[in-house]
Amino acid sequence: MDQKLQELWGEVMEEKKQCKGCGGALPFLIGFVAAVIAGWVLFPNLLYSKKVQPVRFSHKVHQEQGMECASCHVFRDDGSYAGLPNNDKCMECHADVVGSDPAEKIYVEQYAQKGKEVPWLIYQNQPDNVFFSHKAHESFECKECHLEVGKMDTPPVYYENRLSGYSKQTMKMWQCERCHAENGVSNACHVCHK
Amino acid sequence: MGLDRRGFVKIVVGGVAGTLFTPVIWQSLDDVSIWSQNWPWIPRLNKGEVKAKAALSKLCPAGCAVKVKTVGGLPFAVVGNTANPMSKGGVCPVCAAGAQLMYSPARVKSPLKKVGEGKFEAIKWEDAEALLVEKLTALKGQNGKIAAINGDETGSAGEVISGLLAGLGNSGYYMMPGEKFVAEKGVKLMGGSGQPGFDIAGADLVLMIGADALDSWGTTVANQKAFAATRPTGAAATAKFVYAGPVLNHSAAVSDKFLPVPPQATAAFALGLANLLINAGAVSSASDFAEYKALAAKYTVEEVEKATGLKAESMKALVDLIKAAKSPVVIAGASFGQGAGALDFVAGASLNVLLGRVGSGMTLLPAAPKAVAGATSSDKDAASFLAEVATGKAAPGALIVYEANPAYALPQADDMAKTLGNIAFKVSFSTYMDETAALCDLILPAPHPYERFDDALNPYGVAKPTYLAGKPVVKKPVQDCKDPVDVLLGAASKLGLSLGFDTYADVIQAKAKALGADFDALAAGGIWTGEAKGGSLNLGASALAKVAVAKTDDKTLAVAPVSNQANGSATLATPPANLLTVRETELSGKDLIVQMNAATAKKAGVAEGNKVKLSAGKGELKARVHLNEGVAPGTVAVLLGFGRSAWDEFTKGKGDNVYKILTVSDEAGTGLKVWAGSTVTVAKV
Repeated sequence: MDQKLQELWGEVMEEKKQCKGCGGALPFLIGFVAAVIAGWVLFPNLLYSKKVQPVRFSHKVHQEQGMECASCHVFRDDGSYAGLPNNDKCMECHADVVGSDPAEKIYVEQYAQKGKEVPWLIYQNQPDNVFFSHKAHESFECKECHLEVGKMDTPPVYYENRLSGYSKQTMKMWQCERCHAENGVSNACHVCHK
Repeated sequence: MGLDRRGFVKIVVGGVAGTLFTPVIWQSLDDVSIWSQNWPWIPRLNKGEVKAKAALSKLCPAGCAVKVKTVGGLPFAVVGNTANPMSKGGVCPVCAAGAQLMYSPARVKSPLKKVGEGKFEAIKWEDAEALLVEKLTALKGQNGKIAAINGDETGSAGEVISGLLAGLGNSGYYMMPGEKFVAEKGVKLMGGSGQPGFDIAGADLVLMIGADALDSWGTTVANQKAFAATRPTGAAATAKFVYAGPVLNHSAAVSDKFLPVPPQATAAFALGLANLLINAGAVSSASDFAEYKALAAKYTVEEVEKATGLKAESMKALVDLIKAAKSPVVIAGASFGQGAGALDFVAGASLNVLLGRVGSGMTLLPAAPKAVAGATSSDKDAASFLAEVATGKAAPGALIVYEANPAYALPQADDMAKTLGNIAFKVSFSTYMDETAALCDLILPAPHPYERFDDALNPYGVAKPTYLAGKPVVKKPVQDCKDPVDVLLGAASKLGLSLGFDTYADVIQAKAKALGADFDALAAGGIWTGEAKGGSLNLGASALAKVAVAKTDDKTLAVAPVSNQANGSATLATPPANLLTVRETELSGKDLIVQMNAATAKKAGVAEGNKVKLSAGKGELKARVHLNEGVAPGTVAVLLGFGRSAWDEFTKGKGDNVYKILTVSDEAGTGLKVWAGSTVTVAKV
């Protein structure tokens, strides 16, 4: 029995020696760092697919014409928010091609004149079970929640989450809750889930 | 330095530990939880501007002026149109389900051609229209070979259909049975002409004999609004309502008085009332008053009690109510909106003459101008026509069915369906896959009311000429459908006929113009009204001399079909939302419940909950018994609207169809086919 214990002890000590030989904590660190890099760099690229808007809409050009966000993104008479403008609004100026930008020609010929609405990709579309009132958040600057597209000549890339189907920029519930808490607004369920 | 097992394990452990400091696990868990809420079968909201658009909803027989609420252009709810003076913001329970019905799975999704028993294949519109033209071309010019059944009593579509038939050398244009057709016949028997109207809103006593005016007779929403106006909150009622009919139905339930009168005895009840009124001093300047007085004298309180079971005190109390009223009006009709004889109408209307209320309580509407020059009127209803087809007196080679469901909603329905099935070529213009469409060789999907132009002239019951019109609420139908009138106008053109219009919208605009109405104002939810014409009526005494009270014996009971508008109509199965309102005493599981009072049940040898078979003619109906003291003696009340064999999963196979056991008889002196007051034998099974 004693001899067997001694043999076993010997094997353990031998393994311990070999272990020192394979780097001590280094493999752990290698695995750790690799995982961190993969998690922060590779994972997002795998998780999101990249999409571009069907028409290269230049907010910059429109802003240079003296237009403001509210010129197109309007509140309706009943206080609801229209969100993205539809053809009726766009065609107030673009029923026909008025400039030299090829993107405008695409819009006019492929959408406006065919009576087809542009399937814009909405960066912050909320699920159906969320009731979000823009009117209640009117005092905030648009850019506090939305991408600041006002000075962009090309719309930002739309990152679609392959799992959830929502945009990368879609605000999560914890973000809503935090802002409500910070501003002393109720976080009761019924405030957002009607 | 080599990598041994221990080193590998260390890397893995390090990797796992490192992952905990990245979004991989936490974000994935979050996203998977969101993904799990996005199953493809979960309905998605249509986002966009919420609007309320005026529409004419003809899902119910009278038609409702409604506001359709849309989001992003798609309807999602219906509310009454407060700006419309007729409905005053009210909406009937069928039209209230209009948005849901637009997306119904029972809708015909594209033109269908029959390829076998119960089998259809989808075909293109051009092929469907070519087939229709081919069949009509082959029979053109042969009178009697092309026929049409129209289930829309108020629309100008009837003018186009009858005009097309006339142009093709055919006169076989038939309406589905309804109160209007019978009432116009009744007015003729009283020496007048035109559609009668009734001013419920202006009356201080409304006596409904059979007519279920607050649920299924006439313009029900307007009637209900008129009733409600007489019941101001916190103040005394300003008018009395009395219902005399076979069942304590919706009208009877809210009336001041309910007099149980079996369906076959309504004329006897009216004449008994006339007798008491004359005895109390009522006189009329009508030319046939003496004859009428002599006839009424035969309907003594004893005779009336024998026919109806009503005691003399009840009749006398009613006479007192009428005598005390300054502006009474009497409305007579079948308790379920069809099948009554013209004599039933005349007996009730004669009371208006006797009370001097013609021209005020009861009015006559002038003939309306026609939009289609060649349009004709129907001189026979679809039940009479199909009876002739069954006996070989009529032999059409092609039948056009427009917004009608004769295979379900005519007496002896199974026989009617069989007769229909034997016609060589049948085309149905229907929004839904109903029982008739399922029998047809060609089904051409009609748009839902929110997807089409339509109009309604003088819905039965209105006191003044009335016209409503509507235009589509949606830009594009949700199914591949075309307006039936547009299809028929196109077919007419290919057959070398010109009816003067290219589209139904043009027809309606012409109709509005002919009436002096502004189509745009109508389409925005407005209404056009004219003036009732003058003229007098006689008491119809010579016609009433032929009134016969059908006798029931111990073995038979009179059938009283009961309408509940929420359960749909002849052309519409119960909307899915309204199935929730069906009571345990109306449908239990898949068993229809029939109702009778305890004395009647005892006489028939049945008891509460018994399974029974009701038989008449070749028809049979299976049901369970529920005792209800609100049913007239010797009568079995059967709810309409069940026993569907087509439609959708929500309605198919539930209960049984009362039309199967209604039997047709000839009304003495008028030649009309009648089936109100049909009798059945009841047997326990």
